[in-house]
Amino acid sequence: MNLSNHYHVRDIIFVTLIGIAFGAIFISTNFIYNFLTVILTPMGLAPMANDINMGIWVMAGPLTGFILRKPGAGFLGEFLAAVGEMFFGGQWGASTLISGTIQGLAAELGFTLTGYKLYNWFSLTLSCLTTTIITFGWDMFKNGYTEFSFNLLILLFIVRFISIFFFGGILTKMIAALLDRSHVLTKFGGTNV
Amino acid sequence: MNPSFKLILIILISFEISFTRSLITNCLLIIICLLYLIINKIPTKTLGIILLVPIVPAVALSITIAFFTPAHDYHFALVLFTRMFAYVLLGTSFTLINSPLELARSLEQNLNLPSKFAYGSLAAFGVLPKMRLTILTLQKAALMRGIRLSFWSPKLYFKALLIALNWSDELAQAMISHGYVEDTARTYAHKISIKHTDWLYLLVPLFIIQPLLLMLP
Repeated sequence: MNLSNHYHVRDIIFVTLIGIAFGAIFISTNFIYNFLTVILTPMGLAPMANDINMGIWVMAGPLTGFILRKPGAGFLGEFLAAVGEMFFGGQWGASTLISGTIQGLAAELGFTLTGYKLYNWFSLTLSCLTTTIITFGWDMFKNGYTEFSFNLLILLFIVRFISIFFFGGILTKMIAALLDRSHVLTKFGGTNV
Repeated sequence: MNPSFKLILIILISFEISFTRSLITNCLLIIICLLYLIINKIPTKTLGIILLVPIVPAVALSITIAFFTPAHDYHFALVLFTRMFAYVLLGTSFTLINSPLELARSLEQNLNLPSKFAYGSLAAFGVLPKMRLTILTLQKAALMRGIRLSFWSPKLYFKALLIALNWSDELAQAMISHGYVEDTARTYAHKISIKHTDWLYLLVPLFIIQPLLLMLP
């Protein structure tokens, strides 16, 4: 079966708009990233600003995957947000598209591993975990994490997981609960939290 | 150059420089992109702003690599510094010159992307400036009632999702009322073709950059 058959044009617009709305929210947090970077650099921990903020940047993936409950939703949510970010002046240029693709696939993988049948804390945590592991692997190359000492890497990994779990896990679950109470997603089959 | 081909070229180069450590190639890419942008009459002020954007992360990351890692690898610190600028300039070489509409048309016609993905996401990108304003309005309206909707507040995201849901309904209806039918064959008012020169523009730079990335320090 062709994957794209599951998506109607309205779903695609909805997923893109989620990415754009979240982008609009996290653009207002850029100053936090820059502030943390400036503070952490003298301590030699500048990359940690990256890991602290990671959750905000990737939450569109776990969230769309969790509320739309369709194969590909997690990927599309994150990827389309990245396309929008690149065209409207993000900090990272063309690498946004690559990061967006990697983050999207990473978030999607969590739901794929449960066969798109399980939508609870377990699948959400799994999605957060796959996102942490895969984005961290990408940063080993892109941001030169291979140069850091083992202890620092462990610290950065834990910080990144906490950040992704807070935004992609806890916050996503709270948002899904609000959506469920309002019954707005019944046309998508409901979230049934 | 065909927009899809150009995007593929830019993504491939960005991907390759992420895994290689060639300072000279990064600098060459920066110079070529700058020349390309200047030839295409991008104002100097815009170029200046673009070059300012990656300064904070680029400086911070290279300081960390140079002074706070066991190896003190100054060369790699410079590679990372220039890499950030190469990413941004490669990206803007596309986004400042090609519009999202051109890209959507080309992806649909040349790479067989289903039209609903091309035009659905295009329709959504069209309301991006309005979305920024709406999120600000949400936050200000809540403040007037003494409620602070921060980026960690689930209510802010909930409200944003409601807006996304409403707008997606409206935009989809607008497209349908303009005669858009998904999953049907379409005819094109603006044809975008792949010329022989497009293949050249894609393959020649890729062939040139491989030895440079591998051999230059």
